[in-house]
Amino acid sequence: MASIVVEDITVDFPIYGSQKSFRKALFSRAVGGFIRRDGPHQNRIAVRALENVSLKLGHGDRLGLLGHNGAGKSTLLRVLAGVYVPTSGRVLIDGRVSPLFNTSPGLDPDDTGYENIVTCGMFLGMTRDEIIRKSSEIAEFSELGDYINLPVRTYSTGMVTRLGFAIATAIDPEIVLLDEGLAAGDARFAERAKQRADALIDRSSILVIASHSEALIRLWCNRALLLDGGQVVMAGGVDEVIDAYSRSSAR
Amino acid sequence: MIPQYDVALADFADGLAAWRIWGRLGWQEIRRRYRRTTIGPFWTSLSLGIFIVVLGFVWANLWNQEPKKYLPFLCAGMLAWNLMQTIINEACIVFIGGESFIKQMPFPYSMLCWSVVWRNLVVFGHNLLIFICVAFYANVPFTTASLLVIPGLAFMIVNGVWIATLLGLICSRYRDVQQVVASLLQIAMFVTPIFFSREQLGRRLGLLTDFNALYHFVEVVRAPLLGQAPAIWSWFILLCVTITGWTATLLIYSRFRRRVPYWL
Repeated sequence: MASIVVEDITVDFPIYGSQKSFRKALFSRAVGGFIRRDGPHQNRIAVRALENVSLKLGHGDRLGLLGHNGAGKSTLLRVLAGVYVPTSGRVLIDGRVSPLFNTSPGLDPDDTGYENIVTCGMFLGMTRDEIIRKSSEIAEFSELGDYINLPVRTYSTGMVTRLGFAIATAIDPEIVLLDEGLAAGDARFAERAKQRADALIDRSSILVIASHSEALIRLWCNRALLLDGGQVVMAGGVDEVIDAYSRSSAR
Repeated sequence: MIPQYDVALADFADGLAAWRIWGRLGWQEIRRRYRRTTIGPFWTSLSLGIFIVVLGFVWANLWNQEPKKYLPFLCAGMLAWNLMQTIINEACIVFIGGESFIKQMPFPYSMLCWSVVWRNLVVFGHNLLIFICVAFYANVPFTTASLLVIPGLAFMIVNGVWIATLLGLICSRYRDVQQVVASLLQIAMFVTPIFFSREQLGRRLGLLTDFNALYHFVEVVRAPLLGQAPAIWSWFILLCVTITGWTATLLIYSRFRRRVPYWL
């Protein structure tokens, strides 16, 4: 049974090589996270992307992350994916994690569609047999037809999007981490993408999605978390958190 | 930073076990470089071959040496040096180049290092063709000592992985190091006995070879190719380098591995 436990994590991004004047400029400006001085002589600059975030998810939980740009949604997703080990605090993850962020890892424009299915699939943790078994289904969903044997650079933008989406959603996941913007395309594709994502989410044990779209969160999630400046403002049911989010946006 | 030895060790073991992935990544990278060319990776071999043949004849003349003796020596040395130099240079960008992977999902980063070593080995395999031609021309003997090229290359591989990890780590944090390494290697090529023999250096400058690990890496590949056994001293130095290198890498990597995504 998959589970996620996040205990009091803080994530600081160090900033290297910024010029003195640039540092000053940074301090006088307010961005999403908090910029702070760090290190023994207060001479290092770090952006605090997440501060004291805790959460607990179990089987069947579908969590929506809400927040303005720079609130820490993507960073939190990447912590859950295991990309970033937090500066302090603990993350315990049980289950196979499938991060579906914006790019397809290893997608190479000079390789054919088929070759890319194999490379990306392997990187996403599929075995060769699994990929071969699924490749025809991927090709069919992405509607590439004979293009599957041509280099990806000859594809239209929509075709690349469809291919990336089809590969990423072909896995059998336990924990799905979704960053919004994965499924972009024309209206007809958006509808088909939704169906495919629905099926993927149904197969999964836990879903965490970061999105600005209240509709999407209402549709897919049963819990929500509102972040602001790297801190948890509110956690709870979808409706109440969305209300708080709309109020903070209106302000 | 609290060291996580288990994480670092597991990274290398899991990285090696994922040979299907790094094998493919390395292979794709080579194909990408030479896409739509007719002779592919043999372009490197061709230019290296011309370099060796032209330089070989001119310098053999310059130093009053027999071309049939000098050419195989230069060729074997250049091939070995080329293998080592490209591994070290590509080591500096192994994590920087893998940013799109590293920021996407967790995986044993050493996979990228195995891939660097592997694809350079493939290029070396292509370049070996030059040596075979030269060997035919110069009647280089094939002896039992020639088989020592296998442990020689094994040393290159085993050390290549820690070099890639360590340099990759340092270079992703301190971006100047890459330039420093490239410049030093450029100079080292002319100081290390590749274009000239160790004996020509004389006794006083012998230090440039005796304690120059780069020389011994070249030597354990070059000597077997020429049908000779490398000196015991070379194996000894490389053994020391392997042990120290891996120990240092494990100590550093176990502390800073988790910082890599933050540095990219």
